[in-house]
Amino acid sequence: MVINESNPEKSPPKEPEASENGENGEKIESMFSPGFRSVAAMAGWDEEAILIASLVVEDTPDRDVKQKKRSDLLFKTPPSNSRRKRRAQKRSPVSVAVPVLDLGEEAETSRKDSEKKMVELKTNADEEKKTGERELTASSSTLPCIDRLREELSCAICLEICFEPSTTSCGHSFCKKCLRSAAEKCGKRCPKCRQLISNGRSCTVNTVLWNTIQLLFPQEIEARKAAAKSSDSGETDRKSPPPPRGSSRYNVRNQSIQALNSPEDERLQSTRRVGSTYREVRNQVVGPPGISSRIDEVNVRRRRLRRGVPSQDEDAALALRLQREEFMEAFRGPNEQYNSSVPLATENLRAMASRAMNIRIRGRPS
Amino acid sequence: MSAMNSGGISAGGGGSRGGRSWHSTTSVSASGKRILKEMADLNMDPPSDCFAGPKGDNLYHWVATIIGPPGTPYQGGIYFLDITFPSDYPFKPPKVVFKTRIYHCNVDTAGTISLDVLKDGWSPALTISKVLLAIRSIFTAPDPYNPVVPGISRLYLADRAKHDELAAEWTLRFASNDVSIVEMNYMLLIISSVSSSWFALK
Repeated sequence: MVINESNPEKSPPKEPEASENGENGEKIESMFSPGFRSVAAMAGWDEEAILIASLVVEDTPDRDVKQKKRSDLLFKTPPSNSRRKRRAQKRSPVSVAVPVLDLGEEAETSRKDSEKKMVELKTNADEEKKTGERELTASSSTLPCIDRLREELSCAICLEICFEPSTTSCGHSFCKKCLRSAAEKCGKRCPKCRQLISNGRSCTVNTVLWNTIQLLFPQEIEARKAAAKSSDSGETDRKSPPPPRGSSRYNVRNQSIQALNSPEDERLQSTRRVGSTYREVRNQVVGPPGISSRIDEVNVRRRRLRRGVPSQDEDAALALRLQREEFMEAFRGPNEQYNSSVPLATENLRAMASRAMNIRIRGRPS
Repeated sequence: MSAMNSGGISAGGGGSRGGRSWHSTTSVSASGKRILKEMADLNMDPPSDCFAGPKGDNLYHWVATIIGPPGTPYQGGIYFLDITFPSDYPFKPPKVVFKTRIYHCNVDTAGTISLDVLKDGWSPALTISKVLLAIRSIFTAPDPYNPVVPGISRLYLADRAKHDELAAEWTLRFASNDVSIVEMNYMLLIISSVSSSWFALK
């Protein structure tokens, strides 16, 4: 929200303050585009906050106003995979705590550290896409035995990572779909050990295994989910290109940046998260075209939530005020004409107003 | 390896050779995916003395070679096999046929193999690599009780030495002449080039 509304032209420039800081200020200037700085200024950040924020979102080196503006595409981006979300959630408490840090030596050292990192990032900036890839591979190779795990968690039928694994009574696991088609086409025997499968029809997902797989191989599962979705919804869906990976990364980055701003925004952010998950769910059912209206719906709901539902008394008070104004409007003419009878007119007005109030009170269902 | 899934294929069922039509569709049929996956696994970790890969631009038509295992009358022979995958692979077994003549009680003159794994014993959890190993195992241990050539099985049971002599003679005659070696090298070249072209597509 904050970033959507922020207009770089309107915001007060950050330059004078930055240049006062000399070396540091220059560095910040060289590191961040003016657009970013002005947006940051709008959000009320100081340089430490910017630098620390950059540390928080270090894996997305490119900072551009254009990309900022993409934040309104957030709702159109696909559901980011669970690991990302978790990472974002893990990060946000850290980033919320950041503004406290901007005093003392600790902040000084952390600033230097972050500067170093920024310089590194600067050199990597043109390889941004590659770093994305690297990050993906790095995340999947965190475990030394990941290849063996991959083998172990693969479905023997499709030879891919088990998707919604179903475990037979003999203890072998396959994709639910694969096991079902195997039972249909090859008889109700375990493809691995040929034991009879008793529950061939009502295969259930082994939740622990499925969750483990989702945690270990988020990319693969996400890809398969997307593929399944596109094949389910047919040609029209297939035409819409899969959104770039960067967007989901960007999503995370925005969340952590916004979380920096204030508790207020943090709350807003969380409602947005709820909104986007709501959209995800609906999206699976309906598909892309309905999204925008749904977002509106969510927005309205969110606004209502934030304001609180107005009580009946507040309603009545508002109505009364409006009526009074109407009367004032109606009597202005006569008041001007008969200046001498102003006291009388006010008296009249008062009487009418009180009458109106009485009517209103009587008319209100108690 | 995951990028491989995005490779478009002419996903015609077994036998149909639909020319080079690389659709850039994101979805590949389940059987196509599985076959691509098996190809990748075979390239990464080939079974001993076996080679396999697509024959041409049809993913469902493969060619394989098995080298006669030492210590058997088939030693020194190079056997070519044709593999045809059904469109509902892996739920139906692939059709594997010997192209090289062999003196074996479980392989008839047309090259058909009587192997449980390729018929009722098929399981979707089996792969081509395992099938090739199973075929290789009948070189060392023929099954004379389920023969397709009863004469050979009878001889095998009655006079093993004579059987082995005849088998070795056939090996020499059909499976291990110079032409076959040249042919084999040529085939391996084709297999490797076809395989790499498949991977280049991804």
